[in-house]
Amino acid sequence: MSNKSSTPAALTGVVLNIQRYCSHDGPGIRTIVFLKGCSLRCKWCGNPESIAMKPELSYDPRKCTGKKACGLCLKAPFPEGAFFVPAGAAVDKVKVNWHLACDCDATHAALCPTGALEMFGKRMTVDEVLSEVEKDESIYRSTGGGMTLSGGEVMLQPDFTAALLKGAHERGINTAIETACNAPWANIEKVLPHVDTMLHDHKLTVSERHKKWTGAGNERILANFKKAYETFPNVDFIARTPLIPGVNADEEHIRSVLAFIKPYKNVRDYELLPYHRFGLGKYELLGEVYELDDYKTPSAEVVAHLQAIIDESFGRGSNQVV
Amino acid sequence: MSTEIGHGSFLRRIAINVGAGFVPGMNAAVMGAATAAAKMGWETVGIRDGFEGLLCPERYPDGGLVNIDRQLLENLDPSGGGILGQAARVDPFHVRRVKDDMVEELDLSDLLLKRLNEDKIDALISVIGGRGIGIFHKLHRKGLNTVCIPRSLENDIAATAVSFGFNTALSVTIDMLDKARQAAKSARKIAVVEVLGGQAGWLALQAGIAVCADVVLIPELPCDLRRVAARLKEKMTAGRRYGLVVVSEGATFVNAPQASEKPSSLKASLSPLATGDNSEHVIQRSGQAAETVASQLQLLLAEETFPLVIGPWVRGGTPTAVDRQLGIAYGAGAVRAITSGQFGVMMSFAPPDIKYVPLTEALNKVRTVPQDCEFMKIAQSIGICLGREI
Repeated sequence: MSNKSSTPAALTGVVLNIQRYCSHDGPGIRTIVFLKGCSLRCKWCGNPESIAMKPELSYDPRKCTGKKACGLCLKAPFPEGAFFVPAGAAVDKVKVNWHLACDCDATHAALCPTGALEMFGKRMTVDEVLSEVEKDESIYRSTGGGMTLSGGEVMLQPDFTAALLKGAHERGINTAIETACNAPWANIEKVLPHVDTMLHDHKLTVSERHKKWTGAGNERILANFKKAYETFPNVDFIARTPLIPGVNADEEHIRSVLAFIKPYKNVRDYELLPYHRFGLGKYELLGEVYELDDYKTPSAEVVAHLQAIIDESFGRGSNQVV
Repeated sequence: MSTEIGHGSFLRRIAINVGAGFVPGMNAAVMGAATAAAKMGWETVGIRDGFEGLLCPERYPDGGLVNIDRQLLENLDPSGGGILGQAARVDPFHVRRVKDDMVEELDLSDLLLKRLNEDKIDALISVIGGRGIGIFHKLHRKGLNTVCIPRSLENDIAATAVSFGFNTALSVTIDMLDKARQAAKSARKIAVVEVLGGQAGWLALQAGIAVCADVVLIPELPCDLRRVAARLKEKMTAGRRYGLVVVSEGATFVNAPQASEKPSSLKASLSPLATGDNSEHVIQRSGQAAETVASQLQLLLAEETFPLVIGPWVRGGTPTAVDRQLGIAYGAGAVRAITSGQFGVMMSFAPPDIKYVPLTEALNKVRTVPQDCEFMKIAQSIGICLGREI
């Protein structure tokens, strides 16, 4: 998806968002750059706006002033029937028919005067992203922080990702990436030489189950992890599991991930991310259907029990496995 | 408006398929269409699993199309539902595919039209729900000769008085509410039963009237739970020790309490656009309405309540006589529309007539319960509380 260019600084990629002052996702205070495009469809996905590679329309009814005050989206050049106000509606707010509105692009969104219609994602150059990231250079220095690339799947824009990371290193900025590694090894090989810390998801260890919940098997993912551990000994790897009750919030999964990562000394830690329904509102903004709507967050007891297994495996703390 | 039809001067081969979302007795619509087509001397084929049979025929050892001939029709049970199968997603503009373990959504609408043309299919009859209307409107604009049959358990599709499947859903819901009432009576508690109806309250209202429920809460009337509690208190202090509350899954509340958002370690790893599950944009989850009403009433009344969710139970079972007849009528009527060269239309029941209307009449509309609806007046006249004045 990245545009080829003669200079890496002018290379472009699709960026969803840049978030400053983050204290997770790598050491110290960090700036997270969210890239668009993902090759998995995890049913619990909390970032639905990062799934599609191309920029896409979103609609926030809170910002809509309705037909009487505006009504611009109810006529050309907007597709016929894409936007409408239901007859007899108590509130004058535009509604969206996503089957028709999905054909809209940035030129349509730009016509919305209130910002109710916006594009999720925009094309940016490496220089544009890095000049935003550089703003907090002094904070990175004092806290040991840096830049984290997240997604989506950062490995789907390998040239852009590699150029961002390389550019950050050239500016003396620490780099981290969040990835599921569901991409060809050639992409990963391009990116990892410029990475200090790689946070990587072990969602499910059994391939058949991985396919059921994420849409794709995990053979290539696991092979990529192993090859990455072995080929890049100087990278700090941190394994992660988004913990979903009824999917992977069980001892068997945690122990099998530990068995996978423990032989490699450069896998420094294993973190649990208890599932939360933070993506729900965003699904509505995009007109998507949230597939895992009936699942609950894992209980504190379950999280504590599984965390104790990890702590014991890494030989830290006084937590007992209960 | 009549439409020029390809492959010679007359129609020879039509197809029928079923959209996402199951209702009992789907075979009735297939039977109605294929029987009427056979009488015209046409061939009818069924497309397996939505559009999958056409787009991925290699997945089906016996082919992606089912030839619906006289022999098959002779043995087809109109009360059955599975002859053509189902797909979870029926949108050729966004087909999910996995290639080299990479998941992506592709626009296969051109391929779909090409395959229909290669198979010499002149027109397509589709049994669809409300979400499918936009998709088929778009396909029609791309050149597909389509006639749609409205299917909705909630009866929320506009431009028809009754959608296929509603009568069966109503019948099953009434049966379940009778059982819930028995349970409430014997336990001396208040049963709060959530029924289908995200945007339209027909199922709750009509079933609630049939079982003489104490309270019916529908999306069209944001309700005041204090008013509901006061009404239930009146009834219960008069010696009746139980209550039956029917609530649509899309019911809304005035003065609803807002729970505070809990922090989570996961939030930090999500984009700043992330919203909490208590935000105003939370998508309705099954059981949420029943839980909200039950817990609030228990708090207000100091009487025990228990939430129940009928939800997917209404998708199973045998269709009622009304639905079976309606399915066959809609199927046969769709063939009449094709004969008349009417495409981009949807079958409509406008008692006593079965007719067809342009898809645009149903596009972007929801058949909600009007404020002056006779059913609301009937409900009030038999003492059912609707949660607010009408």
